[in-house]
Amino acid sequence: MCASVKYNIRGPALIPRMKTKHRIYYITLFSIVLLGLIATGMFQFWPHSIESSNDWNVEKRSVRDVPVVRLPADSPIPERGDLSCRMHTCFDVYRCGFNPKNKIKVYIYALKKYVDDFGVPVSNTISREYNELLTAISDSDYYTDDISRACLFVPSIDVLNQNTLRIKETAQALAQLSRWDRGTNHLLFNMLPGGPPDYNTALDVPRDRALLAGGGFSTWTYRQGYDVSIPVYSPLSAEVDLPEKGPGPRRYFLLSSQVGLHPEYREDVEALQVKHGESVLVLDKCTNLSEGVLSVRKRCHKHQVFDYPQVLQEATFCVVLRGAQLGQAVLSDVLQAGCVPVVIADSYILPFSEVLDWKRASVVVPEEKMSDVYSILQSIPQRQIEEMQRQVRARRENWLAWGSQAWVTQKTGPSRNQPLIINDRIYPYAAISYEEWNDPPAVKWGSVSNPLFLPLIPPQSQGFTAIVLTYDRVESLFRVITEVSKVPSLSKLLVVWNNQNKNPPEDSLWPKIRVPLKVVRTAENKLSNRFFPYDEIETEAVLAIDDDIIMLTSDELQFGYEVWREFPDRLVGYPGRLHLWDHEMNKWKYESEWTNEVSMVLTGAAFYHKYFNYLYTYKMPGDIKNWVDAHMNCEDIAMNFLVANVTGKAVIKVTPRKKFKCPECTAIDGLSLDQTHMVERSECINKFASVFGTMPLKVVEHRADPVLYKDDFPEKLKSFPNIGSL
Amino acid sequence: MQSWRRKSVWLALSASWLLLVLLGGFSLLRLALPPRPRPRAPQGWPRWLDADLLQSFSQPGELPEDAAQPPRAPHGGSCNWGSCFDTSKCRGDGLKVFVYPAAGPISETHRKILASIEDSRFHTFSPAGACLLLLLSLDAQTGECSSMPLQWNRGRNHLVLRLHPASCPRTFQLGQAMVAEASPTVDSFRAGFDVALPFLPEAHPLRGGAPGQLRQHSPQRGVALLALEEERGGWRTAGSNSSACPWDGRCEQDPGPGQTQRWEMLPNATFCLISGHRPQAASRFLQALQAGCIPVLLSPRWELPFSEVIDWTKAAIIADERLLLQVLAALQEMSPAQVLALRQQTQFLWDAYFSSVEKVIHTTLEVIQDRIFGTSAHPSLLWNSPPGALLALSTFSTSPQDFPFYHLQQGSRPEGRFSALIWVGASGQPPLKLIQAVAGSQHCAQILVLWSNERPLPSRWTETAVPLTVIDGCRKVSDRFFPYSTIRTDAILSLDARSSLSTSEVDFAFVVWQSFPERMVGFLTSSHFWDEAHGGWGYTAERTNEFSMVLTMAAFYHRYYHTLFTHSLPKALRTLADEAPTCVDVLMNFLVAAVTKLPPIKVPYGKQRQEAAPLVPGGPDTGPKLQAPDPNCINQIAAAFGHMPLRSSRLRLDPVLFKDPVSVQRKKYRSLEKP
Repeated sequence: MCASVKYNIRGPALIPRMKTKHRIYYITLFSIVLLGLIATGMFQFWPHSIESSNDWNVEKRSVRDVPVVRLPADSPIPERGDLSCRMHTCFDVYRCGFNPKNKIKVYIYALKKYVDDFGVPVSNTISREYNELLTAISDSDYYTDDISRACLFVPSIDVLNQNTLRIKETAQALAQLSRWDRGTNHLLFNMLPGGPPDYNTALDVPRDRALLAGGGFSTWTYRQGYDVSIPVYSPLSAEVDLPEKGPGPRRYFLLSSQVGLHPEYREDVEALQVKHGESVLVLDKCTNLSEGVLSVRKRCHKHQVFDYPQVLQEATFCVVLRGAQLGQAVLSDVLQAGCVPVVIADSYILPFSEVLDWKRASVVVPEEKMSDVYSILQSIPQRQIEEMQRQVRARRENWLAWGSQAWVTQKTGPSRNQPLIINDRIYPYAAISYEEWNDPPAVKWGSVSNPLFLPLIPPQSQGFTAIVLTYDRVESLFRVITEVSKVPSLSKLLVVWNNQNKNPPEDSLWPKIRVPLKVVRTAENKLSNRFFPYDEIETEAVLAIDDDIIMLTSDELQFGYEVWREFPDRLVGYPGRLHLWDHEMNKWKYESEWTNEVSMVLTGAAFYHKYFNYLYTYKMPGDIKNWVDAHMNCEDIAMNFLVANVTGKAVIKVTPRKKFKCPECTAIDGLSLDQTHMVERSECINKFASVFGTMPLKVVEHRADPVLYKDDFPEKLKSFPNIGSL
Repeated sequence: MQSWRRKSVWLALSASWLLLVLLGGFSLLRLALPPRPRPRAPQGWPRWLDADLLQSFSQPGELPEDAAQPPRAPHGGSCNWGSCFDTSKCRGDGLKVFVYPAAGPISETHRKILASIEDSRFHTFSPAGACLLLLLSLDAQTGECSSMPLQWNRGRNHLVLRLHPASCPRTFQLGQAMVAEASPTVDSFRAGFDVALPFLPEAHPLRGGAPGQLRQHSPQRGVALLALEEERGGWRTAGSNSSACPWDGRCEQDPGPGQTQRWEMLPNATFCLISGHRPQAASRFLQALQAGCIPVLLSPRWELPFSEVIDWTKAAIIADERLLLQVLAALQEMSPAQVLALRQQTQFLWDAYFSSVEKVIHTTLEVIQDRIFGTSAHPSLLWNSPPGALLALSTFSTSPQDFPFYHLQQGSRPEGRFSALIWVGASGQPPLKLIQAVAGSQHCAQILVLWSNERPLPSRWTETAVPLTVIDGCRKVSDRFFPYSTIRTDAILSLDARSSLSTSEVDFAFVVWQSFPERMVGFLTSSHFWDEAHGGWGYTAERTNEFSMVLTMAAFYHRYYHTLFTHSLPKALRTLADEAPTCVDVLMNFLVAAVTKLPPIKVPYGKQRQEAAPLVPGGPDTGPKLQAPDPNCINQIAAAFGHMPLRSSRLRLDPVLFKDPVSVQRKKYRSLEKP
């Protein structure tokens, strides 16, 4: 390449002489240059692609090619599981360190094949399900490939099914893992524990302090707050795609679909069928199937053949009876089919019971009461059954989707849950709430969780802080200050000086009032400055008031504060407004006429809780805040939307209608209540409704007056006589 | 021309060669240098080539089918609910509790517990009919250790109640008995079988109890972030900027101004750090709850009270003591929304379940009843949001939408119709005019007449647009609040035959009630006051600037309050109401206020001047059943509640344009303004 460069540098001298051929020569030259450029360009990217394709090759290995590890017969065996283990005794949190994202890191050991001295493998290298599970963990945010940063270790030794492994040798294999350290912070996955004859309810492999995610725990083996109970995977429901069924009555009321039930239990369920006839269906294995039909997919009742698991969709309730093992794969099938499980397995720890509320999605019946199952289920009201069916559906979608897709996509699916549950234990303050685990999306969408849910009437002694937003109307401002300072419960006055070009008047010029007066200068002339959670606000109640609202009497303001105390989670204001649906234009319309209803109050004069200042400044959805500042309008409508949306409650308008001097035109001086103004306000409502995705405002027909307002009662005996006078 | 062209061609050529050299040179340079370790993407779990060929972990046919003996879990000496409790005894009435009488002299605590059980709806005097037998096992010091009772039966269906952890030496084997113990250790606690109680101080009140200390929703400004427990039972607060230092004790040498303060009783801080062991930590925990100080429990080795039903993650932070610094950092960074929610939850839980001995005992029984009820137990929402499971009876419904309290959380609304329940007392006149006025309301779904007097039922009633049902009640006043199955709507308009209302008054009041379904919305009011002269409570129906009760002779409320009135009030109180009929108003208002902790709502009553007199108790022509306010009644009720739940309100809700200077034609409720 260097040579060609040299040649070409000398080249130019030749060209003039070769007139006839110079075109071809140029073309050749250009092609060479072009080729060179392409080659160099390729070179730029080549090493990278070589590397990544190397990675590719590394990953695309065969399971059969994994390294083989020979376990000497006398290699150490871990202690048996310690039943008294708890997070604070057996779990090493120091390894989890402090992570700003409050997220633990999970490491997966590389896959190896373990053989004994004679070369006989200890277990199947890895099952399909375990491979999928590890893939899901590896794809999740919890995964790390750096063993020194990991907090949780997952061995790649597959112990899902105890019957496919040799117990002692598997334990030896665990003990020689590089970070084993008595099993501290190691997480094992097991679905089928125990073996004949007594079928223990937890994995028999000695595992010392390792955490166990097991399917089929009983109250005696489950270490509350340490182990994790998981469902038993059912290959059947993963293969079959069942359509979703809405809640409602089904063809059969109760269905038993399990094969291989203990004869005693089979007698019991068959007795149920005899007693209750058509509404109960008891299925068993088919005996007379022709060759070639998958027997696991069929169930029979007498000579009638049913498709399994499709038949589960025909029943309201499906029995999940214990077998030799407590955890039954049929539970997954039943959930997948949208049938409400009736769990009859004493002392069984239901999957993820630490966080999932199974009361809402299943019926648990003691084994003793098996003969009463029918009447127990009959006593459940239809509405509750439908609620359970909805819960089962949500559970299937959210948490227990055992289809292979969910395993891999890891957005949902159980493999995500185990790190999550353990994560929540280590970082409880970042934990997921009961509602997030259990409420179906429909409830989450419609529900409101009021941030001020405790019914409290704040003491009067606290008083309120008045915040006056002002630009340069000093004279009017001083009048407002003087008027407001007459209100007995006023405890502080805050003037937000929004004019950067002009200094506020000197201290000596301000009116002398009995409460502290503080002036806050802002950096920018923005309407949202009015709703900033200033440190100076020490009371819970805030009165937002414009610098031109001089018509409110002291009685009216004091009464407004009293009303706020009774409704501390609402906006309590004076001028009320309404939003209406304009059927012609097909959009919302702002209404300031004298109507019988209100849905907003203007914040030109309104009491509210200071927490809403925090919400307005930091939690306002979308771009509303910037939009308001850019348009210099509608900050009050935005506040009304915000409060109604978060509390689900309507505003309270106080006292009769007064003639306010255009309370809406705070921003632009002199703008009258004309048509353009109303159009602009209507636009705000439509814009906010689209950002919130809903119309949170609530319309009410009432306003608050003093108890004796306009009653035939001596005026001087009334607490708030001076109300409503113009 | 040509030279210009040639020049430009050469220029282009040399430029491209220069580019080539530069790029090529860099590449060569890169080849020559050893490759730098680049930040690589984490290597995940390999995608196996033969992943699809892997075998499943279990073959469907392989599952064991025939265990030799009936599969039963090994008992191993320990019990769980399914194996050690016989629910068949609890059929019918649900939970019935028998308490073994004390053998010798009993302590104050013992007496309180006995009293609270005997007053409850669970109590029974016969051990044979009881589903749960309760054995009080109290302090060893007072010599109260019980010996094995008669109906012991290996402890089956027994609950051994130990309020203090260091209790009696075991004089007999517990067998299959459940243990309700104050803050048990996690190792001995059998989840789902035993009940974890709070650690109550000796002087804990029997009823009512001190309300929570929280007076405002958000933490006060300037209040300390952390409070730490002191050796001798007090609390010490730490400034918010020194959150880490109090832990290693160095701050004590250098207490900055206002940095550390002593608090004798209750902590005044946002978070209360509680470590150490029970019983001290457990009693601190309760103090923190009462004070509205969010408990931060460091690796508690004891079970939190009623952990079976209470979601403590909503009210406390349970953290690992080994991650203390991280916890403190997390506390400082906690969002105001989270702090607000946790603080309020501590107060709600304190008020709902812990503030008195009675509440603790009733909660214990309610937990056991929920186990017996199975599917018809309280859903978690009812336990964990106001007013709490003791006041939201699962016998009424298990769907939160049926109660007046959870509409917001459920995204539901109360029904848009009401049932009018007209009580015909001594006068015995069919209230035909009233029926017409009420039936005229567009929201009225049905009218029920509760005929409660000696005269025979009239055979003919007026024609109404809505169904009219006549119930022949007994003569008791408390019948007015019986949960009649014929009432099908959420809202009840409770009326007296002598009430007089107009259709638009009814309409407006109902529209208001829809905004406040958990409160009573009434037309006529009375208010309570503390009578210094007599040292007791009094109440008056005179018109004043505030009120705390609405008269149930004309009021809207949710039908759930009928269930609550009949099934949760102590029998003694209902008898009191029957004997002194004016009391029934007071009692109902107490009940609703105790649930909502809020005042009722007053709406305008148009005909106040002309016809108010006969409605107000004590008016001139009241019948024998209406007497002047009886201070005795309010004091008895207050004593039974253990506190004064009534709250006063200073406002009335009027229609938006009420008496405004606009044309009457524009007003929706114009008839309310007629003089």
